[in-house]
Amino acid sequence: MKSRKLLLYLCIIFSIILSTGYTQTRFHKQLRPRNKNYLHHQKIRQLNDGLPLHKKSQKYAVDQILVKFKPSVKSQSIKTTLAVYNAKLLKKIPIGNIYQVQIPEGTTVEEMVYYMSQNANVEYAGPNFIAHITVTPNDTFFDYQYALYNSGQDIGVPGSPQGKNRADIKATAAWEESKGGEEVIIAIIDTGVDLEHPDLVNKIISSGRDFVNDDLDATDDNSHGTFVAGIAAAETNNNEGVAGVAWNCKILPIKCIDEEGTGFYSWIIEGIYWAVDNNASVINLSIGGLETDPGLEDALKYAFDNDIVVVAAAGNEAEPVLYPAAYTEYCLAVAASDYDDNRVSWSNYGPEIDVAAPGERIVGCVPAWFWGPGSIPYAFGSGTSYASPHVAGFAALIKSSKDWLTAAEIMNIICYSADDVNSTEHPGKDDYIGYGRINMEKALVPLIITN
Amino acid sequence: MRYIKKLFAVVLIFAFAPGLLFPQYQELSTERSIKFKPGIGFEYLNRTLDWGDDNTSKLNSYLFTLNAEIEIQDRISLSAIAGYSLSSFDKLLFKQLPFSIELDTGNIGGYLFGSELNFKIYNFNDFEIKARGQFIYYIATKKEWAIPGLSVSGNVTGKPNWWRIIAGPQITYTGFDYFYPYIFISYSDLRGTYSMEQSIEDLSGKEDKKIVSLGNICAAIGTYYELTDYLNIKAEILIIPNETSLDFSFILGTLFSF
Repeated sequence: MKSRKLLLYLCIIFSIILSTGYTQTRFHKQLRPRNKNYLHHQKIRQLNDGLPLHKKSQKYAVDQILVKFKPSVKSQSIKTTLAVYNAKLLKKIPIGNIYQVQIPEGTTVEEMVYYMSQNANVEYAGPNFIAHITVTPNDTFFDYQYALYNSGQDIGVPGSPQGKNRADIKATAAWEESKGGEEVIIAIIDTGVDLEHPDLVNKIISSGRDFVNDDLDATDDNSHGTFVAGIAAAETNNNEGVAGVAWNCKILPIKCIDEEGTGFYSWIIEGIYWAVDNNASVINLSIGGLETDPGLEDALKYAFDNDIVVVAAAGNEAEPVLYPAAYTEYCLAVAASDYDDNRVSWSNYGPEIDVAAPGERIVGCVPAWFWGPGSIPYAFGSGTSYASPHVAGFAALIKSSKDWLTAAEIMNIICYSADDVNSTEHPGKDDYIGYGRINMEKALVPLIITN
Repeated sequence: MRYIKKLFAVVLIFAFAPGLLFPQYQELSTERSIKFKPGIGFEYLNRTLDWGDDNTSKLNSYLFTLNAEIEIQDRISLSAIAGYSLSSFDKLLFKQLPFSIELDTGNIGGYLFGSELNFKIYNFNDFEIKARGQFIYYIATKKEWAIPGLSVSGNVTGKPNWWRIIAGPQITYTGFDYFYPYIFISYSDLRGTYSMEQSIEDLSGKEDKKIVSLGNICAAIGTYYELTDYLNIKAEILIIPNETSLDFSFILGTLFSF
């Protein structure tokens, strides 16, 4: 009995020793980085290979930190403190009394920040973070597009109106997070689109559908639809013309308005159904009529039920909101704001208004024939028609980032992220700009929650 | 829910085991075969977490524990652990919510439950080899934060939980009086979930983010110190290397012997 017990103990001991040996062998492979030189080389290799499991975009310098010492600390004490941590002074920013410090090899930024923060002489220690320029496209007329980024610039030739700094939809910050996806299609139900326009030709997925002439060629014979399409999704960062709100999203042209700028409700209804059945994710309707129509409402409901976001212009008569925008359950009604973040006086109003977007003095695309030979195919224009595609492009970016969201959810995100720019006179949701002027950054860039 | 109930039942069994065994202990204690050792402990825990999509962050946790250890025949000891923890998850991104959020909220308080098993295997001259394993489960109290900057009011509610298992052989040198240094080579895994709910008027969403620790092989050095016949102190530093950094934890504990 004793010998069996002894044998059992021997087996257990033997297996433990074996497993310990195996564990230690593996562990030694892991431990090797404790050798400082090895760690240094490994870090460099990881960075160069792009293999680390950190976020791909580097947030801060990996070999240095910033330290601010308390004002009472003498320079000799600072030197001593740095020496204690084996840290090397790289540079001092005199006015801020901030020291840029190289951390010793084998120590991470997090560890060094932690150690330094514990020191009684130190007021603050943190990583040397890396800032990036915000996304600014190189399109020729981007400086005129105050709606996307408003620095208070002249909007047009010198002497033109100047905007108020940051009275814009925060597009450049939002583009850091999302520039949209090619799979997201914005249907432009309008006068058609110039299919050969240099800023649109690569964004149009097909020649579309023409319900006015009943064919498959939605070429624009008015200019309105081309302008609208350009605002929503002109080719961006192509050294040409204007930037679109939805950089990478595609355009589906649908012609339901004739060259005079009018169209039957039947054409519009057909256009909405056709857009839904042809994989549109967002529909822009920069059109409107005074009359209600159950058929039009049913078409909007069909789009809504298929999780397609419908955005419509409120109208430009300083009167009640037009239809389809007034069908507020199924579409977003968009009012117009200007370069000072004020509501434009001609923008229609009413309880149906959901949000506002810039619609005054907007630069956009026009068909090549519009100005005639030798002219550039761009123009300034005003109207809720041009406010609406800002919102349509915005909806397309949200859809690109979070394709699981329903139409209702995207509509709510657009409303809840808006800036209540008229809160002094009309706090909260009001009849003039609804929840406020849209703010793409708030909806697309993660909101920081602190205690 | 069923999982939590089962876990809770196990924890209760461990917690009450010393009490249930106490009469036996009184009888056997004269033979020194069963000892009851209540204690208190503190651990600082620093682990790199992988949240998927190449996102990593640091878990910094302060664990304050009450231990009830029962030692049988100077060979096996089993502890029930309960306590409180403050856990900070650094900068966390939740991008599956209607509004993406980055959480930078510091520590979240929560409760700890767990148990530890030590099993002495072999004594060789002044060395003692034992197997040691510990399981800890942390569940936070729900915490709510307002979402800033929206045109309507809204909030997010976060509730993290994690469990950690650590097991391996420990070699203790028993040649000194009162002072017993040891090394502990172990496998450690830490996993869990951070549940975040968002509610903004009629807009709502929920995201469960899975936590997985980076690095599983750990090495620790530590020591027991017999301050008196009735009071032991334990201190341990554990390091966990991983692909991105060197994590560590620090343990300080006291055990009272009866």
